[in-house]
Amino acid sequence: MGKIKQLLTNWRIILLIIFLIFAVIAIRPNPFKEGVAIKAIAKNSSAALAGIENPKPGLSPMSKEIIISMNNVPINTVADYYEFVDSLDANRTVRIKTNKQSYTLMTKGEYEKKELNETEQKIKKETVTVNETIDNKTVSVNKTINKTVTVPKIKKIYIGVQDIGLSVSQAATSNIRKGLDLQGGTRVLLQPAEAVDDNMMGTIIDNLKERLNVYGLTDVVVKEIRDKPKLLGEGNKYILVEIAGATEEEVKDLLAKQGKFEAKVGNASVFKGGEDITYVCRTAECSGIDPNRGCGKVEGGYACTFMFSISLTPDAAQKQADATKDLRIEKTEQGEYLSEKLVLFLDDKKVDQLNIAADLKGRAVTEIAISGSGAGTTEPDAMTNALKEMKRLQTILITGSLPVKINIVKTDNISPMLGVQFVKNALLVGMIAILSVAVVIFIRYRHIKVAASMIVVSLSEIILVLGFAALVGWNIDLAAIAGIIIAVGTGVDDQIVITDETLRKEAGHLGGWAQRLKRAFFIILAAYFTTVVAMMPLIFAGAGLLKGFALTTIAGVTIGVFVTRPAFASMIKILLGE
Amino acid sequence: MGIKSTLLEIYDKKYKGLMIFTIVLLFLAIGVLGYNYATTGEFVKKGVSLKGGITITIPVDTDIDTGVLKTDLQDRLPKADIEIRRLTEAGMLVSIIIEASDIDEDALKNAVIESKLIELKEDNYTIESMGSSLGASFFRQTIIAVILAFLAMGLVVLITFRSWVPSLFVILAATSDILCTLAAVSLLGMKLTTAGVAAFLMLIGYSVDTDILLTSRVLKRKEGTIFERILGSMKTGMTMSITSFIAALLAYIFTSSDIIKQIMIIIVIGLFFDMLNTWIQNTGILRWYLERKQKKHGEN
Repeated sequence: MGKIKQLLTNWRIILLIIFLIFAVIAIRPNPFKEGVAIKAIAKNSSAALAGIENPKPGLSPMSKEIIISMNNVPINTVADYYEFVDSLDANRTVRIKTNKQSYTLMTKGEYEKKELNETEQKIKKETVTVNETIDNKTVSVNKTINKTVTVPKIKKIYIGVQDIGLSVSQAATSNIRKGLDLQGGTRVLLQPAEAVDDNMMGTIIDNLKERLNVYGLTDVVVKEIRDKPKLLGEGNKYILVEIAGATEEEVKDLLAKQGKFEAKVGNASVFKGGEDITYVCRTAECSGIDPNRGCGKVEGGYACTFMFSISLTPDAAQKQADATKDLRIEKTEQGEYLSEKLVLFLDDKKVDQLNIAADLKGRAVTEIAISGSGAGTTEPDAMTNALKEMKRLQTILITGSLPVKINIVKTDNISPMLGVQFVKNALLVGMIAILSVAVVIFIRYRHIKVAASMIVVSLSEIILVLGFAALVGWNIDLAAIAGIIIAVGTGVDDQIVITDETLRKEAGHLGGWAQRLKRAFFIILAAYFTTVVAMMPLIFAGAGLLKGFALTTIAGVTIGVFVTRPAFASMIKILLGE
Repeated sequence: MGIKSTLLEIYDKKYKGLMIFTIVLLFLAIGVLGYNYATTGEFVKKGVSLKGGITITIPVDTDIDTGVLKTDLQDRLPKADIEIRRLTEAGMLVSIIIEASDIDEDALKNAVIESKLIELKEDNYTIESMGSSLGASFFRQTIIAVILAFLAMGLVVLITFRSWVPSLFVILAATSDILCTLAAVSLLGMKLTTAGVAAFLMLIGYSVDTDILLTSRVLKRKEGTIFERILGSMKTGMTMSITSFIAALLAYIFTSSDIIKQIMIIIVIGLFFDMLNTWIQNTGILRWYLERKQKKHGEN
């Protein structure tokens, strides 16, 4: 009994226990958790309209919103979810209950629009500004008038139910993020065909993100990877795109072809990305918050107006003049605009629409200013949102006019089934490895306490590394598992050194326990530094794909040397002590 | 007991003779690598992850004749360089790995589907493709990484012992480990992959551990004779190596992941050579050096 008390009052062991508690809190394991986690929401889908929000990037797996039931049907597995969704018809109400709140959404039908050869008369409501004289003063008043227009008859053909726009996965049972090779998905490594500076790289990445977004793929990682530390020069730059649960064909199609941008007024194409836009200004001189209009108070907060200029080819300018010359001028609070809007399409999907200033009517100008606004509850908020919106628009306009070609240099499409198999297998291998070590140790020392301490310490080391990975948001992939095995392996080596130093009690052996421990730790630290320096270059080599391995190994041996090994030394001293 | 004391006797008295064995081993390894370089232009054959190509991993339930599959695919794709490996878990076949270079992904996939010898089910197989220029740059960088790691390791050893000669012995032992392991890998017909390079880096760390243990015990302790100190550190060091060896061997047998399998087999081979290089080469050379030094001191 005395020994247990001694163990629990030793500060090195207390430190290990505290670290373990933190690690478990970071991992938050809950193997019994059921439900389906929301991974992403497609734009303009029923789900998005119902107010379900996209999970914020960097959100830990356990904090994701979980669907509990749909129309009171409990949803426990991804299969349940799909079974329910497949049974839906168009224009039905679906009540989704999540662990955070309830949503009500309407399913939408998917229609094909067909323009017929006949025309029909339609009544269109329109708001116009008229000048009225009230009490001898002329004021502008908005009035709604009914207007009859002739339009081609359109037949809608129902082809099915639109997907409600949720992308889901089985709810995580812990905060450990599984890497792509453990959960399945597609990884594509892209390389610009020529050297690009940091600015251009940023533009390319924003561009890819925007396009993936347009396609409703939001659960994606798009990041820059360099194979040399910035300090040591340029090196090669790559873009890593990782998409869980998308097929390779989809992703390749999307990334390999250049984005197609088109702006239309009514039905007339005005300009296209690549050929018609010669320049999109993104420097402070000609882009930013509009100095003339700036920010102002609006209902419910503030709104800021941004503007930036773009240059068109004379051809495109002429097309714009032709498309706008017959439009009417409408007055609004913000200024005078033309009756039709400039609608922006990215890969044939509508992404935005802009008002056209009245003075552009029928004029062929090559320099045009694009403006828009962003709102927020406070003025800085509104400003941030306006600038964000501006950046998004610029990104869309640049798409298709990227000056560099991007090559796909590596694609991996990993089967989710194999991933599941790997996880199970990794657990089995880990158990076997630790047990085999314990057996060898027991044969060598004939001491159950030594073997047991070694198992306890090795398991703690695994938990600490996983906890650390969960905390900093590292992915655990196969290479990282190898790194953990190595870290635990060196851990066992060091524990053997400690045990041998402690057990050598033969006569004439100099020094007390502290002395012996010092000697053991000299060897351990030397071995530690060699492992760390050997792993350093790997953080960058191979386009960073082995980074996980290098970092996990370094983290593992570091935790081992500073936390678990001192605790092991104390355990051995107390357990084997007289 | 008789055998043990005879072995100890040989280990104690004939340590210089034993060293010939490791020296021969080192030269054999250099010979193998040199021969490889002379005939193929590279020291070890590179796998698709370092030279570019496609890897398809297909889980299977029933056994598949890989020889037949290979001939069939080769007939369909005469220009491609195709290799088929079996991935086992505890001896049971779990997946077939098809590696091919000089071919594009769709052509290989179609050939596999047309061969009808193995089923490609949606979502059930993994396909990885690596551009050849990226593979080449990976290879260059990982080689640089290994060299840098080696230099850094040497520096740490030098700082640790603050003594040139014993440090150089440690570095020599690590070099021998790496070269012997590389030669063994090539003789076993294995190809070097990115994961394999990572394993070599690990090996640098692992193999140096026992050498550091030996050198610090022998250099820094004063109790007992040099040989007694060697035996003491050997007991610790062998326990370390044997536990790692067995754990890595079992992991190699039981894992179903090709990456982990490759890492583990290299560690297993490396640890085997490390035992020889630490306890024969490094020990012998260190003992020789120290006893000569002692003699000189004695005479002075």
